[in-house]
Amino acid sequence: MGDGVVGGAWFRPSAYQPPLPLDRIILPAGTPGAGDRMDLDVLIVGAGPAGLGAAIELARLVREDNQAGHGLGEVQIGVLEKAGALGEHSLSGAVVNPRPFRELFPDLEDSDFPFRAPVEKEAVYLLTAGGRWRLPTPPTMRNHGYYVASLCEVVRWMGRKAEELGVNLFTGFPAAALLRDGNAVVGVRTAPSGLDREGKPGSGYSAPNDLYARVTVLSEGTRGLLTQAYLDWQKIGSPNPQIYALGVKEIWETRRSLDRVIHTMGWPLPSDAFGGSFMYPLEPNLVALGLVVGLDYPDANLDVHVLLQQMKTHPFFREYLEGGEMVEWGAKTIPEGGYYSLAERRSGDGVLIAGDAAGFVDVPSLKGVHYAVQSGIYAARAIFAALKGGDASAAKLAEYDRLVDRSYIRRDLYRTRNMRLAFKGGLYVGGIKAALMTLSGGALFGGRIAVPEDAAVARAAGPEASFVPDNRLTFSKVDGVFKAGNATRDSIPPHVLAAREVPEEVARFYGHLCPAGVYEWSDGRLRVNAPNCVDCKATDVLGPRWTPREGGSGPRYQRM
Amino acid sequence: MKIAVCIKRVPDTETRVKVGPDGKTLDESGAKFILNPYDEFAVEEALRRKEQAGAGEVVVLSLGPAATQETIRTALAMGADRGILLQTDRVPADGLEVARVLAGELRDGGWDLVFFGKMAIDDYNHQVGPMVAELLGLACVTAVTHLEIADGKGIAQREIEGGIEVVEFPLPAVLTADKGLNEPRYPALKGIMAAKKKPLEVKPVTPGAGGLEVLAMTPPAERPAGKIVGEGPDAVPTLVRLLREEAKVL
Amino acid sequence: MSAVLAVCEQRDGVLRKVAREVVTGARRLADGLGATVDALVPGSGPVEGSAELGRFGADRVVTVTAGAFARYAPEALGQAIAERARSGGYRAVVFAATATGKDLAPRVAARLGAALAQEVTDVVVEDGAVIVTRPVYAGKALLKLRLRSEPALVSLRPNVFTPVERPRAGTAETVALDLPVGRVVTREIKAPEAGALDVGEAPIVISGGRGLKDPANFRLLEELAAAFGGKAAVGASRAVVDAGWRPHADQVGQTGKTVSPSLYIAVGISGAIQHLAGMRTSKVIVAINQDKDAPIFKVADYGIVGDLFQIVPRLTEEIRKLHG
Repeated sequence: MGDGVVGGAWFRPSAYQPPLPLDRIILPAGTPGAGDRMDLDVLIVGAGPAGLGAAIELARLVREDNQAGHGLGEVQIGVLEKAGALGEHSLSGAVVNPRPFRELFPDLEDSDFPFRAPVEKEAVYLLTAGGRWRLPTPPTMRNHGYYVASLCEVVRWMGRKAEELGVNLFTGFPAAALLRDGNAVVGVRTAPSGLDREGKPGSGYSAPNDLYARVTVLSEGTRGLLTQAYLDWQKIGSPNPQIYALGVKEIWETRRSLDRVIHTMGWPLPSDAFGGSFMYPLEPNLVALGLVVGLDYPDANLDVHVLLQQMKTHPFFREYLEGGEMVEWGAKTIPEGGYYSLAERRSGDGVLIAGDAAGFVDVPSLKGVHYAVQSGIYAARAIFAALKGGDASAAKLAEYDRLVDRSYIRRDLYRTRNMRLAFKGGLYVGGIKAALMTLSGGALFGGRIAVPEDAAVARAAGPEASFVPDNRLTFSKVDGVFKAGNATRDSIPPHVLAAREVPEEVARFYGHLCPAGVYEWSDGRLRVNAPNCVDCKATDVLGPRWTPREGGSGPRYQRM
Repeated sequence: MKIAVCIKRVPDTETRVKVGPDGKTLDESGAKFILNPYDEFAVEEALRRKEQAGAGEVVVLSLGPAATQETIRTALAMGADRGILLQTDRVPADGLEVARVLAGELRDGGWDLVFFGKMAIDDYNHQVGPMVAELLGLACVTAVTHLEIADGKGIAQREIEGGIEVVEFPLPAVLTADKGLNEPRYPALKGIMAAKKKPLEVKPVTPGAGGLEVLAMTPPAERPAGKIVGEGPDAVPTLVRLLREEAKVL
Repeated sequence: MSAVLAVCEQRDGVLRKVAREVVTGARRLADGLGATVDALVPGSGPVEGSAELGRFGADRVVTVTAGAFARYAPEALGQAIAERARSGGYRAVVFAATATGKDLAPRVAARLGAALAQEVTDVVVEDGAVIVTRPVYAGKALLKLRLRSEPALVSLRPNVFTPVERPRAGTAETVALDLPVGRVVTREIKAPEAGALDVGEAPIVISGGRGLKDPANFRLLEELAAAFGGKAAVGASRAVVDAGWRPHADQVGQTGKTVSPSLYIAVGISGAIQHLAGMRTSKVIVAINQDKDAPIFKVADYGIVGDLFQIVPRLTEEIRKLHG
């Protein structure tokens, strides 16, 4: 039981979570209701590092093949993206391993990539309420040779490269449903736009579009809607359920310059929560910082946004941030389950799953971007072979799983397979287990540590933290949403599906869980301020389900 | 119906405006660039007029840096037929110089209508459209909120203080679009795909320096701390005076 | 001696109040340039109120009459002003940045080949040059510019240049012109459609909350909005929309975006965070509330504590006086 929890009734979030509405997300091809129909060869859902990595590699393979004189001819590749412009829903730390970029762009140098500075110095600290202890940098967290980067900038750059290769980028079009023919995925239906608050077509309405393709790549990112639906529908399991963390991140212009990559553990997190912070210099006086907390914490009043605000008041952060300006804010979940949470297969008839959607994240090294790009490259190679062979069956596309399983993606995740899971017991026990695992190369505690899904972890409310933003160093959630550039239309219909009856303690839990202030307990019921949502997916993990809104809704991240 | 639309690439300064290190221009780091919202009304109206006429061409023009091609593509994705970028890295502060370059390109084009947005949301210059009209000797109505066109004539409405002017004009004409004229369409999937193949001509230009010299850009004065003016209805005259003289909003 | 030309507006034969501001701004420029001020008053006949312009600093008041000037005639006016500016050798031409002035000034600038700065909030003369300040990026930055052309053209943002009495001779002259209206003809001036303004677009928003006690009491806010002459819309807090007092379309706030009028008046609204989020980017916020500790006062620029049922009617009265 968590030491932060003092009384309050225990509940399991899963008891109040509506099931995924599969009947709305998996549609037979030709289901009425769509406006335009478009036929492509390959459709990629999500213009993040995985989707764009796949698009670039595939377009390049097709082009080289055509130039060699025995090609496929024109291959139409389309990428759907729910953000209004490239990169605006992309958020990561990030320190990026450039390895797959070198593979994707063999003619370019590292200095051509859209990264900021290489990591030269780094430090890890354990924080206490007023103090800090420098820790030796764990081997998994050594970042020499890697680059600090803004994922928004990386995505925008990759998008331009894809367009130069003839890829169609459709920004502002969220995918809302998979189109199926038998067990095969044959395309997707996009979300409509211009619905009024009651969900009826208003002025400026445009109907959903159906896009059909021979192969569909699900690179939706963390907690992908179509990915979840596909795995459910096809009953594809994994040894452990996927588990998640929530990260809240801010970009600051600072007076004092930062010359190193910093990670911290400990304060202000309670010891029964797993997580840590990062602070990276994008430029000497432009700093990205954030706090990441596993969503298996027991204290229902834990609030990641508020903890991040509290954390900034620590002298360690304050001395960098004071007198500076918070210029951007954002939040996103991270799939943390690692090796044992990977689906048995990430391919099927007409479909592949890549990047964060597939769970290719290594928590001990805090990395996922390069696995996303790499898995996109492998997806492209498998698709290219399928197109050449005129066969997009599950058997043919299983080449993708083989490529991933033979690669460093599988190798890295296997090596650290239990490290995140060990922290189920809290920070200190977990820290010791993790150290032993590192020393033994993963062999100690080598069997699978079984974990429940996050929503099944029991919660109870601890003491309510009193937090009043000072609007200089610390900010409210609404300020955060504003700094996320959120410009969602105020009159959109609610896009999150909550249980019909939500008791007060659960509603208050949602209120703390959601970093964007979407949920409130007021006047004796759960209030949903849907337009605030920044698509982080935290409540999709633990509560109300997320469904897509009209294109261009949500945040407009620029340097996240 | 042959229609030109002059558009501008502008920074979206919704969340933040910061003065650059030169003290004269916007710090563009972390800024997002968009099609000027008033120009969206202009593009939409041009498309509707062409659709109404059943035939014709909508050509999009812009003066700006190379990246403006993206902005022009947005208009092409909405449905415009082709684009022309008058490329320069230096857009002068003087609207007349911009107007001269645009007029040079538009002259003798045989346009029925030339649309502009009523202003750009970056410089708030409010002038290039009517200046182009003067340079080309065309009729012009600015800040149009309602438009009817038939038989070579148009009737436009424009908002003035406390009323709406109903204005009649002959074609060809230059019109600048205000909010309310229409609701701009979102680019459709097919429009986005088609836009990639539409012609976009790039012509290098060198605008004159003009007669406006930027001396400084500064942040506005800090908002004074809020104050309770007083209690009850007797405080109203003081409030009105402050709104008028201090806040300058009445 | 050189001169500055102040272009004044009339409507229906009556000088508009903004003309005083234009003459005040022109006087300031003229003093810096060592010049005189000519006020130019176009009309179809005598213009009521033009005689007072001497009081605000006009050395001459030139009424230019033409049948074409009965209503706004942009082409005829543009031509007349440009010709006058050219032949009179003016150093500067000053307009009001009204709907009319902002339309007219660029036409004159193009005819003269002169530089124009619109929506100016400050003018000074430094080393013989006209220097202006004008807001850009929705008022989030100010641009200071030097106008190098002669004449230099500026339009002054209304309500910024408070009229100052600087009595000059104000010698009256009348010039009759014979000009065609031109191709662009103003057929009529319609009254604005009542209630047509959307809360999201109105330059002034007056919102009511639970403090109004009854939906019928929104009449008070509608009367106040009407006093602003079609520039104001009535909004509502979420609480009263949820209670069914007002339609959803009128609701202000919920997200980080929403309304940012130049003036936001919150009446009987306590200021729940969701409401504050929707109006915090307003340029000026006024709060009227019974409870002096209401959070709305923390974001308000100006507050009045007290009974809104007494305060709002008084405010309506004062605004009517101002616009009368």
